[in-house]
Amino acid sequence: MGGYGDIQLLRDDGLRLDGRKLDESRPVSIQAGILPAADGSAMVTHGLNVAVAAVYGPMEAHPRKIQRQDRAVIDVRYNMAPFSTSDRIRPGYNRRSREISKVTAEALESAVLVERFPRSKIRVEIEILAAEAGTRCAGITAASVALADAGIPMRDMVVGVASGKIEDTVVLDLDKAEDNYGQADLPVGILPNTGEIAFLQMDGDLSPEEFDLAMEYNFKAAKEIHEIMVDALKARYEGGDN
Amino acid sequence: MVELVPNLLRQEMARLAEQDARIDGRGRFEGREITLETDCLYNAEGSAKVTMGKTVVYAGVKFEIRTPWPDRPAEGSLMCGAELRPVAHRKYEPGPPSPESIELGRVVDRGIRESGCIDMNSLCIIPGEKVWGVMIDIHVLSDGGNIFDACGLAAIAALRTAVVPAERFDVGEDYTLSVNGTPIMASFTRVGGRYVYDPCEEEELGGDERIHITIGDEGHLHSLQKGLRGVFTPQEFAEIFEVAQEKCVELRKIVAKKEAN
Repeated sequence: MGGYGDIQLLRDDGLRLDGRKLDESRPVSIQAGILPAADGSAMVTHGLNVAVAAVYGPMEAHPRKIQRQDRAVIDVRYNMAPFSTSDRIRPGYNRRSREISKVTAEALESAVLVERFPRSKIRVEIEILAAEAGTRCAGITAASVALADAGIPMRDMVVGVASGKIEDTVVLDLDKAEDNYGQADLPVGILPNTGEIAFLQMDGDLSPEEFDLAMEYNFKAAKEIHEIMVDALKARYEGGDN
Repeated sequence: MVELVPNLLRQEMARLAEQDARIDGRGRFEGREITLETDCLYNAEGSAKVTMGKTVVYAGVKFEIRTPWPDRPAEGSLMCGAELRPVAHRKYEPGPPSPESIELGRVVDRGIRESGCIDMNSLCIIPGEKVWGVMIDIHVLSDGGNIFDACGLAAIAALRTAVVPAERFDVGEDYTLSVNGTPIMASFTRVGGRYVYDPCEEEELGGDERIHITIGDEGHLHSLQKGLRGVFTPQEFAEIFEVAQEKCVELRKIVAKKEAN
């Protein structure tokens, strides 16, 4: 969060630079089952972000030292394609992608019924093909749909959403400019059916009241995106040819 | 992860070959249906998505400004790399680039580079100081067999749609990259003792060596590669080379048709 004060992010009519209202998300579209080689897969387009997730497993957990006797482990890799950002990214793992992978895995492990698959591993591969602020949230959403597409039992799908603060105003779903020049970002992973939170990060500056409003926006957005996720899965299995 | 090759699969491949049949019902030199999308990735200066059966690959083109090599002060550079990440198949594991992905990237790179479709001098901004480095990154998302041809097609299709981002780098106005040619790859794998075109996943698993042929607009060879354990005769090569010529003309038409729209 740079917090540059001289960049105008809200228009005089109170709308945001791209014309959205304060509590308005960028458009989201989701497709399930787009990668034939995977056991489950999904593509999430969130604004200009494109996230693809593939799920393999449950499979044997190896090396054996990662095995858990009473549950499955979820092995997540979040990766940005070299061409996903305006400056090319050198291929390979970095500190940012390792951290996102770790907390994403922990969020998904909180929703998947891992105790059903002792000593096994579920691989979740998240590939960001285009990035425009909010890729970790799009990745979580894609991973949840891919897990469901793979037939892995879950308490609920985790929905990745974010709110933040620009020009001292709380807004839903920061885009690139708002992320770069805004004052706070609060990405969370929500289980809409239970009202629980499985993923939480934040950086910037938020008052307790601003935090409450940002969370309210996030829950509202999660419900809307959850419907799109369910529709994507229904569309995939309608017609009965799978 | 090394995949086990069941003897039953190899036996079945041999049985099918005797009847001149393939496991998915195709003719020996019949390719799978191909779909090509271009300009499909925001943030890439050129992009393409190719699906061939169960294979899905993306290619994206990025540009950077670099200082030229001292012995070639007026030439830019082209680099093509491929990633076989674990997303693409359960057999791929995380880690540094595997020999397979390096081979894949380099074979595609040679076909494009050696066809001469990019004039390296056209990538010069200020001789001796600034030139463009063009990078094609190929991302395999689903390996359903014959990723080489899919990657080759995605790479050249992405390159042909690329726009040089001169404004972003403050060196003039954006312009379409000049690409003079459409080199196309055709790949064959020995399955049940004879070569088939465009192998599917099962055929690669139950087959032997493979041959990749890249051909330019004039019908000239620009890159060849034999991979995996096995040998072949000149007569066998002559047969598949003839098929490759036809296939490359067909695939080039797919790229041209996409560009005409």
